[in-house]
Amino acid sequence: MPETRLLLKGAGERDLTQIAEYRAAGGYESLAKARAMEPQQVIDALLEANLRGRGGAFFPMGRKASFLAAGPPRYLVVNADESEPGTFKDREILFSDPHRLVEGCLITAHAIGCEQVFIYIRGEYHAEYEILRAACDQARDAGLFAGVAIVLHRGAGAYICGEESALLESLEGNRGQPRARPPFPAVSGLYRAPTLINNVETVATVPVILATGAAEYAKLGVPPDSTGTRVFSLSGNVVNGGNYELEMGTTLRELIYDLGGGIPDGRELRAVIPGGSSTPVLRADEIDMPLDAQSAAELGTMLGSGAVIAIDDRACLVQVTLRIAQFYMHESCGKCTPCREGTRWVVQIVKKIEEGRAEPRELDLLLDACDRILGKCLCPLGDADAMAVAGFVNKFPEEFRAHIEHGGCPYGGASSVEGLLAPIALHWHDPTTVELPS
Amino acid sequence: MSAPELVTLTIDGVEVQAPKGLGLVETAQLAGIEIPVFCYEPRVGPPLGACRMCLVEIEGMPKLQAGCTMTAQDGMVVKTAAASGKAAEGQNATLEFILLNHPLDCPVCDKGGECPLQDLTFRYGPGSSRLSFAKRTLDKPIPISPTISLDRERCIMCFRCTRFSQEVAEDGQLVARNRGALSMIATFEDTPYRAPFSGNVTELCPVGALLPIQYRFEARPWEIQNVPTVCGLCPVGCNVSATTREGKVKRILSRNHPEVDEGWLCDKGRFSFPHLRAADRIAEPLRRAGRRRLEAASWDDALDEAERLLRASGPRTVTALSGSESVEQAWALAKLLRRGLGAHEAVLPEAASDALDAYSLPLSAIRDAQLVVVVGDEPVADRAPVVDLWLRSARRNGAEIVALGPSTESAAEVCRGLAATELGARLRETERAILVWSGDGPQGCLAALAGELGLADRPGSGAFYLPRTPNGRGVADAWAAASDEDPGDAEIGLLIVSGDEAAADPHVRALAEKADAVLAIGMFSEPLRGWVDLVLPATSYLERDGTTMNLEGRLQRQRRAVMAPCPDETAWIAKLGERFGVEISPYPSLLFEELAAACYPGVSYEGIGERAGLPPRAAASPVEAPAPAREPARAAAGFRLLRYTPLFSGPAVERVPELQFQRPAAEVELARADAKRLGIAAGDTVRVSHDGSSVELTAHLSRTLPEGVVRVAREHAGELEHDVEVTRA
Repeated sequence: MPETRLLLKGAGERDLTQIAEYRAAGGYESLAKARAMEPQQVIDALLEANLRGRGGAFFPMGRKASFLAAGPPRYLVVNADESEPGTFKDREILFSDPHRLVEGCLITAHAIGCEQVFIYIRGEYHAEYEILRAACDQARDAGLFAGVAIVLHRGAGAYICGEESALLESLEGNRGQPRARPPFPAVSGLYRAPTLINNVETVATVPVILATGAAEYAKLGVPPDSTGTRVFSLSGNVVNGGNYELEMGTTLRELIYDLGGGIPDGRELRAVIPGGSSTPVLRADEIDMPLDAQSAAELGTMLGSGAVIAIDDRACLVQVTLRIAQFYMHESCGKCTPCREGTRWVVQIVKKIEEGRAEPRELDLLLDACDRILGKCLCPLGDADAMAVAGFVNKFPEEFRAHIEHGGCPYGGASSVEGLLAPIALHWHDPTTVELPS
Repeated sequence: MSAPELVTLTIDGVEVQAPKGLGLVETAQLAGIEIPVFCYEPRVGPPLGACRMCLVEIEGMPKLQAGCTMTAQDGMVVKTAAASGKAAEGQNATLEFILLNHPLDCPVCDKGGECPLQDLTFRYGPGSSRLSFAKRTLDKPIPISPTISLDRERCIMCFRCTRFSQEVAEDGQLVARNRGALSMIATFEDTPYRAPFSGNVTELCPVGALLPIQYRFEARPWEIQNVPTVCGLCPVGCNVSATTREGKVKRILSRNHPEVDEGWLCDKGRFSFPHLRAADRIAEPLRRAGRRRLEAASWDDALDEAERLLRASGPRTVTALSGSESVEQAWALAKLLRRGLGAHEAVLPEAASDALDAYSLPLSAIRDAQLVVVVGDEPVADRAPVVDLWLRSARRNGAEIVALGPSTESAAEVCRGLAATELGARLRETERAILVWSGDGPQGCLAALAGELGLADRPGSGAFYLPRTPNGRGVADAWAAASDEDPGDAEIGLLIVSGDEAAADPHVRALAEKADAVLAIGMFSEPLRGWVDLVLPATSYLERDGTTMNLEGRLQRQRRAVMAPCPDETAWIAKLGERFGVEISPYPSLLFEELAAACYPGVSYEGIGERAGLPPRAAASPVEAPAPAREPARAAAGFRLLRYTPLFSGPAVERVPELQFQRPAAEVELARADAKRLGIAAGDTVRVSHDGSSVELTAHLSRTLPEGVVRVAREHAGELEHDVEVTRA
């Protein structure tokens, strides 16, 4: 199945960062359409299209908007703090299709009756920030804002600030740590006001829905739950990594082999992480899974943030697990006990297994530690760690056992996890000194 | 306020009725069911849900929920660890994680034996550790101030301390640093935690991470006794427990009186107790022998000498009181001097008045007020520290706090005009409006204003005068009750100086110059050398039984925590009474009953109890505002000098080395605009002078002081009063 470009329509062919080009391709027509509609009609359209959150939680945006307590003020916050390992779809939108997001913000603002929009953008996304800022300036100069203000706020390098309530804390100038819920942001969010928070891709899909028509949009993908398209970020051991906008229901095999060109150098696919590093891994024989929520759930995993990471047969999966566990340990905010202490313990155990010092019972201990984190934390970060690590152990127990029995990594020095997630050392950087893409 | 709707829910199979929205922890308590907590502490703000100790199972919710962040809803079915294996597993997991890197150095931890982490581990935790790695180690203990140490290995990151610092005391000095497993509590930029309420974090800490250095390795909980008493160092009268071991005070803890202190203490009240063992503490009578020398005297000789001095002076005896005496001490002394000698002349520490009794209310009413107006020149936190916390909580609750002082006008002048202003109109119309006067001055002005505003008729409205001394009102009541006669205007004979505060008062020292002889009752000898002829030893508020009246008008019981190194004052006053034919009981209970018959009808010594109540409001009677004392006219270029008594000052604080860092620097505060006009920058040395006398101080630019006034701590103001000039030195 080829790509279905709705969200990224025209991107790559035209310079959509320029408002004239975007308009020439039909941009901002949905905004005009929306402003001619009653706000509730716009929300109804989102409900009819069954637009679900593309950040990972897959919650219907229209329902979230209906939960909003009365304003004013009401705020719209756009989560552009894209940090899930393997995920770079929002970056693509910000980089090559920023006006789609601005248009989505303005339509959503109209739909929920809000005058202040905040876009919280990952601190390392410097070029994207400049591009988005320029796009906002162009749209404002073109008189499209109509009293709405869009505030761009740059993050300072914490993964946890992509969690919606930690994002709000950070936006308010506090330490970025999640809040206890209830109250949910729809009732008490930014500055205690009713707040709608959605991911970049979700908000950018709003104009697409109005342009396509909600009923038409709802027919795309795998109705009723997984309607429309998603932008999947393909990375890891593939020939053609990159972002691909696909109708939901496209299979992983099509993505990896047809679009991604398969595994390089004639090697074999071993495993696939289907939705960002937090989602339970799949074996190579499971890649006929269609990319929709239901199919993923049937295999005990999730589409998460839509980041597909292909892992070939050179990679020691315990090393991959260690990289993932180290990432979550490094990014745990430290607020709640199971995550703060548990993510570190998990790293210690996985490392011990990788180094061949573990006893057989410690594999059970690892699973039990994951189980004791899962579902007991303040926010999903701890769950992400536990699900990802337990996922690798459950799908590839023989690999872990081999390490224990062999007294070390069975790959010897031959394993390569190059290009599969970043090593822990790379997490320590100063976001202000990141090199900009040219 | 209407009664909240009642809902019915089930906890562990027990049906509970609770107000809708009540926290689940409290709701379970109603049913006698425990939901264990570490981070949950309603006094430091909204629940955090961080520690995960309170995990419970709630029907209809797939995941375990933090009980502390949930509220009672109708039909809710809750299972705690007692009824749910899943919840028990969750709590066990939380404890396993907490204990992973906790050092388990309980045998040498001062918290051991009174530690919530120990208790909850005992009840809900795993019996063994599955950690096979070296525990995380950190430098420890780190003194975050001379009074508090931090052990980061023991810390469980409950954020109680940082929330206290940020949301209760609002000093913003404690912060969390780093993230994840590297998270740690720190002071902002590692500067010492210097703030009036810092010590409260040592009580909030549920483990042995933040501990008072004074208590380090001093006692084990099974060898201590906690004596319920009341702090005697300021007019708030916070309820405290004095922890004693082998006859020595080792620590002061709060003893939450929800109307008075809500369980908070200032660092003066908490950390000053080592003054009981000061090097110059007086344990036996002293007699002047040479210019600055004092020599020990036997009690027989001392009482003979005291009798001789009293007989020689007779009615010409003048008594200077400190306001730190107990009601009973003042009563015994008043009986001896007024009834035995006809010596009616007293120098009271401050003017006391019952004019505000018609507007009395508990301090906790400030938290619920809508509008609070603070007048007066002295910072509230220095004069009655915990009142500052009540004002902060009022502001957080949405009240408007208007500070009309300090100003170029005296507080009396400010009060005089207030009723006619727009603010006065709002005070009159607001349902819960409170006036606070922080500074010296005639209380009558405040009472007159409260009367004009009609505050007597509104239950949540009223007025507080913040006195300078802990028990000035009680002392004045006792002195007045002993006789109706007025003092004559004879020359002074013997001057009796009661208490170390009076001995430090320059006016009292000036009076001593004129006296034939001076008899002092004091705890500390150094300040008495060279001018006192006979010294009789005094007890501290921690060493005696008695009563004291706080700024609300609440009579509270102080209990003897430890034996003083000397007999009670009332014991030797009773002996002297015999020599002058006055029957004086040495027992505080009997002294109080006598006085109460005259002053506090219906109040019994035993009836005051551990948490004293506030007497009902007196009937309002019209009060004429006294004419404000004329302040000398200022020179055109002059400033109004505000001298204040810093919280960390006085005879007790001066004798505690670890509190010296809290004392104010030799600074003069002035408004930025004034500083700019005079070419003074922050940190410059400036000369503050009047009429030939001057002091050199460091300039501190204030954001809050108005133009035309400067503020200096009393101990740095030298002889300056009222009116000064300021120049660059």
